[in-house]
Amino acid sequence: MNLVRDCLDKQIDDRSKRRMGRVDGIVLEIEPGRPPRVAYVELGVKTLMNRLSSRLGTALAKLLESRHIESAPYRIPWGKIKVGLNTVHADVEAEKTPALEWELWLRKKVIGRIPGA
Amino acid sequence: MKKIVEIALGIVTSVGGFLEIGSIATAAQAGADFSFQLIWAIVLGGLCIIFLVEQAGRFSAVSGRTIPDAIRERFGFNYFAFLYLVLALVSLLVLAAEIGGVCIALELATGITFQWWTVPAALLIWLVMWKGTFGIIEKGVSMLGLVTLSFVAGAFIIHPPWSQVVRGALPSLPHHDSVHYWFVAVSILGATISPYLYFFYSSGAIEDEWKETHVGINRIIATGGMTFGSVISIAVLVLAAMIFAPAGVKVEHYTQLPQLLVPVFGYWGYWLLVASVGISCLGAALEITLQMAYLTAQGFGWNWSESQPPHAEARFAAAYTVTIILAALVTITGIDPLTITIFSMALTAATLPVSIVPFLFLMNDYSYVRVYRNGWFSNAVVIVIIGIAFILAVVSIPLQIFGGS
Repeated sequence: MNLVRDCLDKQIDDRSKRRMGRVDGIVLEIEPGRPPRVAYVELGVKTLMNRLSSRLGTALAKLLESRHIESAPYRIPWGKIKVGLNTVHADVEAEKTPALEWELWLRKKVIGRIPGA
Repeated sequence: MKKIVEIALGIVTSVGGFLEIGSIATAAQAGADFSFQLIWAIVLGGLCIIFLVEQAGRFSAVSGRTIPDAIRERFGFNYFAFLYLVLALVSLLVLAAEIGGVCIALELATGITFQWWTVPAALLIWLVMWKGTFGIIEKGVSMLGLVTLSFVAGAFIIHPPWSQVVRGALPSLPHHDSVHYWFVAVSILGATISPYLYFFYSSGAIEDEWKETHVGINRIIATGGMTFGSVISIAVLVLAAMIFAPAGVKVEHYTQLPQLLVPVFGYWGYWLLVASVGISCLGAALEITLQMAYLTAQGFGWNWSESQPPHAEARFAAAYTVTIILAALVTITGIDPLTITIFSMALTAATLPVSIVPFLFLMNDYSYVRVYRNGWFSNAVVIVIIGIAFILAVVSIPLQIFGGS
């Protein structure tokens, strides 16, 4: 498998096929004397900003933390990931993960309060 | 019979969004300033958009993916972020122009200055998005948009010299005001080859659950719909060439537009023009708003569908709400909508390569389009369109500066 071609930036669906985001980053673990191992896939705006520029990522993390908002990306262990043709499936329930935190917050606090939503 | 209805409906709906304030304004300006000489720009833009829309529809029908989806996947986040920023800027300006178009129609209907209509118009757009489904936006507004056929009827009734119309379809060098001529040509191409048209069409194919079996229908709809739209644009140009050009009238304000139909239809011409501008701009505004929400949701992997209630896809609903607010803020400043329109068309032309270059790669990617990949002819056409897009990107801003007035 070519990780960048087959996994990075692909749509991630949860176990009930709900879209939960994209593979924003891939975390490799490197131990001395052993080949690198894929440990996690990451979802999160900080990971995305780091890909544009590490300064941007750091600045965003500081901004979020100053407002007491969690900036760390959500990590899904590689063992729960299945890579298909142009899709990635995660054996998790999206609504119970931080991946949909903003969606649920918006639904509860803003959109859901507008009549007709 | 079912297929014929599907094709007819598809052609009508794909016109929705094609004819909008940009194509009306640039065609009217071209006819007024250069008579029939710039018809070729509409024909060229129409041919380009037919190929791009057909490919966007084929891609989605076969792969089950939209073009922005695949751009993020194949070109990575950094390219997508660049495309997103460019398209967001252009789309907000074009949307501001469309909201301005709706307001101008309301000003023409009521006599109340267009700025006062910004909030009601933005609210109307938001309400249709909030309560409506994809089907209502796609089919309902497009059906109402058939009123723009009054331009075509007017162009026939006014008896233009058809030999000159046909001659105008072939590119020719300007006889006067060269810089302005090329500026108007570039603006027409920017108004015709709109990224939101092919991105929206691609998302629409997913909303309508198109499969491989739709590849043939897609070809007919894309060709028929975009040709139909181009014919209406040409009709606007012909009317301006017959009415404005002989009188030496320059199109400097939207309030001049009713004069396109009044000499042909009299009193009713005024109201046909008001309805045509209002409805076509409303349709385009809805499509652009929806396209911005699609682009955001698809790029970041959120759930998206206009047919779901807002609470089910809160981020998607928030995306279109914010889009409408930002565009309305531009309109409410009171900048002349014609200025926003002409500027945004030139800016669209300047940014075309960013959204068109990926077609060449995606339409040849076996993992997405399998046996429906582009043949040598389609690839050659895309390369030519990319060439045109790069030329437009280079010349549009200097022409805007030196030939925009």
